[in-house]
Amino acid sequence: MEPPKIWREKRERYLAIGIQCQDCKSKSFPKTSFCTKCSSSNITEYRLATSGKLLNFTKVTSTSKEMNSYAPFFVGIIELDDGIKVTGQIVDCKFEDLQDEMRVRMVFRVLARNGEEGLIRYGFKFTPE
Amino acid sequence: MNKAGIVSYGSYIPRYRIRIEEIAKIWDEDPNELRSQLQVASKSVLGPDEDVATMAVESARNAINRWKGDPQKIGAIYVGSESHPYAVKPTATIVAAAIDAEKELTAADLEFACKAGTAGMQMCLGLVKSNMISYGLAIGADDSQGRPRDPLEYTAGAGSSAFLIGTERVVAEIEGTYSVTSDMPDFWRREGAIFPSHGVRFTGKPAYFQHTVDASKGLLEELGTKPSDYDFATFHQPNTKFPLTVAKMLGFSSEQVEVSLICKDIGNAYSASSMLGLAQILNHANAGDKIFMTSYGSGAGSDAFSFEVTDEIEEVKTYPYNVDHYIQNSEFIDYGLYARYKGLLR
Ligand SMILES: [Zn+2]
Repeated sequence: MEPPKIWREKRERYLAIGIQCQDCKSKSFPKTSFCTKCSSSNITEYRLATSGKLLNFTKVTSTSKEMNSYAPFFVGIIELDDGIKVTGQIVDCKFEDLQDEMRVRMVFRVLARNGEEGLIRYGFKFTPE
Repeated sequence: MNKAGIVSYGSYIPRYRIRIEEIAKIWDEDPNELRSQLQVASKSVLGPDEDVATMAVESARNAINRWKGDPQKIGAIYVGSESHPYAVKPTATIVAAAIDAEKELTAADLEFACKAGTAGMQMCLGLVKSNMISYGLAIGADDSQGRPRDPLEYTAGAGSSAFLIGTERVVAEIEGTYSVTSDMPDFWRREGAIFPSHGVRFTGKPAYFQHTVDASKGLLEELGTKPSDYDFATFHQPNTKFPLTVAKMLGFSSEQVEVSLICKDIGNAYSASSMLGLAQILNHANAGDKIFMTSYGSGAGSDAFSFEVTDEIEEVKTYPYNVDHYIQNSEFIDYGLYARYKGLLR
């Protein structure tokens, strides 16, 4: 991943910042420059809730070269306490520990490392609460 | 002027642990002898997607959430570590972004073996006391490395601890701090080297013990206090034996030190070690308690601190993600998985 993209997505990945429309009040993630519901550009940054529940999940065993050293890893859809749904990895647990509806919270982790010399990309993942 | 001191604190210890027995088995060493020598049962190990920056952020977020204040008011962030993920590109910038403290602040990474975090606390205290900033965040975080089969392999653990220094709603006033520094070849790692080297037996007496004793005595003398004035004391924990021994040399009892002994479960957390000990004490302290802390960093130096706990401690003490939470939330792994997580398999 290129440095400009990492820099551009920093607040979104580090702080889980999406948007809230000032016209229709709807919230969405990831960040866009207009409301995903009413297309208004009258939007402000919105920080997502930092905990929620796991809706469903799967185990990823084979993946891109960049992610291979972390595999197998678990990916889930999480409904945050503010109602927004996000996709994320679930870490610090065993696959057999995962259950639908289980409570999870956000943690700050390495998303990927670009080889031995490239940039390290950080962002949020989830862990059992 | 208001009291200056600790406004909040937060810690982080990774989930994975490896037992001394599991490492001893690989090298055919006697685990009982090692355990009695070091008084350490297990050490903490980072997961594959963690590093000093992720640990520093988690501890910093715990400090902010415990405080419930505005991170934009933080004027300085210092991250002390000997295992920063980048040789060039500060960990402190990642922390600033991840706690939403960008962009009007000063920041830097520090290195002084196991005491760079407490050096950061002193820098924050100076800036706060001179009114240059309102709040400063000092973090000690390390993912320490021990060459396979080296004695360090049994204790080189990982962890992070963050202290927010300021003058508003102080939970523990810093009554004084005193340091000693000398050029000491007890432990080093050259640029580009993966594993550190050390002077084996040389590391104890003239290094750890002499510096810890000199800084501690210096502070006691300066403040006119004596060991019995303190409710708690904590020292750098390269193993569990050293802090107990140095406490005795100084006239502190093992009861004063006991609460802070986290090394037996997580090993030596390097820059985070004495700070995790202090965080653990604060979780058990009450208003009016006096706390003594002396860090030690190879190379070498010690920073001694004297604290008095205030009524504000009650507000912040019950925050759930504390040292005990992370000590209990653990999963033991075998040497194979340890080798993978430590990047020993290439
Ligand atoms: Zn809208």
